[in-house]
Amino acid sequence: MTTQQDLPVPQAAPGGSEDPARAGGPRPSRDGGAAAGAVPDAGPRPRRPWSARRVPAALVAAAGAVACGTLLYDVVAVRTGAAGGAWRRELADGLATLPLSDARVLAGAAAAALLGLWLLVLALTPGLRGRLPLRVPGAPEGVRADLERRGAALLLRDAALRVPGVGGARVRVGRRRVRARVDVRFRDPRQVREDVTAALRAERRGLSLARPPRLSVRVRRAPDRTVAAPAPAPAAAHAPAPAPAPAARHEEEGTR
Amino acid sequence: MKVQAAVNRILLALAGLALLGGGLLVLAGGLDLLPGTGDGRLPGPHDVLLGRAQRTRFTGEGWWWPAVIAGLALAVVLAVWWLTAQPGPRTAGRLVLGGPRPPEGVELRGQALGDAVAAQAAGLPGVRRAGVRPVGRPDRPRARIALTLAPDGEPAAVLRALCEGPLADARTSAGWASLPADVRLRVAGHRTRRAE
Repeated sequence: MTTQQDLPVPQAAPGGSEDPARAGGPRPSRDGGAAAGAVPDAGPRPRRPWSARRVPAALVAAAGAVACGTLLYDVVAVRTGAAGGAWRRELADGLATLPLSDARVLAGAAAAALLGLWLLVLALTPGLRGRLPLRVPGAPEGVRADLERRGAALLLRDAALRVPGVGGARVRVGRRRVRARVDVRFRDPRQVREDVTAALRAERRGLSLARPPRLSVRVRRAPDRTVAAPAPAPAAAHAPAPAPAPAARHEEEGTR
Repeated sequence: MKVQAAVNRILLALAGLALLGGGLLVLAGGLDLLPGTGDGRLPGPHDVLLGRAQRTRFTGEGWWWPAVIAGLALAVVLAVWWLTAQPGPRTAGRLVLGGPRPPEGVELRGQALGDAVAAQAAGLPGVRRAGVRPVGRPDRPRARIALTLAPDGEPAAVLRALCEGPLADARTSAGWASLPADVRLRVAGHRTRRAE
């Protein structure tokens, strides 16, 4: 993989955007518009769903129940005349003798603080980062939908692979941006990149995402291990490529 | 289940604040970062977490041990209640049909409706698997729908077909004014396919 190199392909339009509706200015209207695509009766942008945080809540509840239950059991045992647990004596001794500067106390305090910070983060953030909310066009009231990010990546990868000349594609779907890296086996890489961008844009429309992520496409010359397609004079094909374009990276919105 | 989510988050935040505050206080005291630790209000590096005198301060009083036991018992009960509330909403066992009251003895099993919707949804183009569970109140259920798309499935088209087909059918045949739904889409894993 290290033998691959980014092809110097010039920007089709210098600093420009291939998607005028999304470039600059105010964001397109929320109910569809050119960016979200095509669906005329798309409803309002659905709110991002928040996780119910069941798993952390269950863990904290279980820890609290076990701790309080154990202490309760021992207290009751001592009150009714049985012998108390040794652990309680040791714990009381430790609490009464170890100074706060002891390394064990400090480590425990640091662990407690970190755990507390983590619980706070869990309590205050939406979660569900692996799912992308969808816009349900013409949906009856109360219908919400989301799509796994991994699934979106699979569908977008397939769309990229359907473009002629594409030998391999990796697509990573973030929550705001889609990064596609495409290996070109034949055809002019510039042309392939344009086709891939168009294919991904069409597929993105089909995903019906509430917040369509930006597309970023990079094309690379695939390693020369295939002879399936007669490479049409690879050096000459993009001879006019000017030097300053360092990579065939293509951002949809030129200046973000 | 908005209430449960709110309760979970509030309790998590309280637990987090307690742990964070306590941990930071002990850390600051142990590292001697707090000013004026001599007066006994703020902890210093030579203090202990719980001294013997503090621990046995009330043990001579008659109310102490009953109070401790009652407090611990209450804490255990609350924690167990919180724990048992976690496995999400249960499938609605029976559903009350809308419209004019159905004849006596007629009721719809929740899972029957779910299975019917799922079977219809699994037949939509682009859908490989479907699972449907009605949850919530018997007269106003919510459908929880999990769809696994085939590689050629398109979410927009599938959602449209789902709303116009199985969901609309279930709503009209059960006589409900609306049938809200949570739809979760996945895509079946598959191998790479290349263009010729």
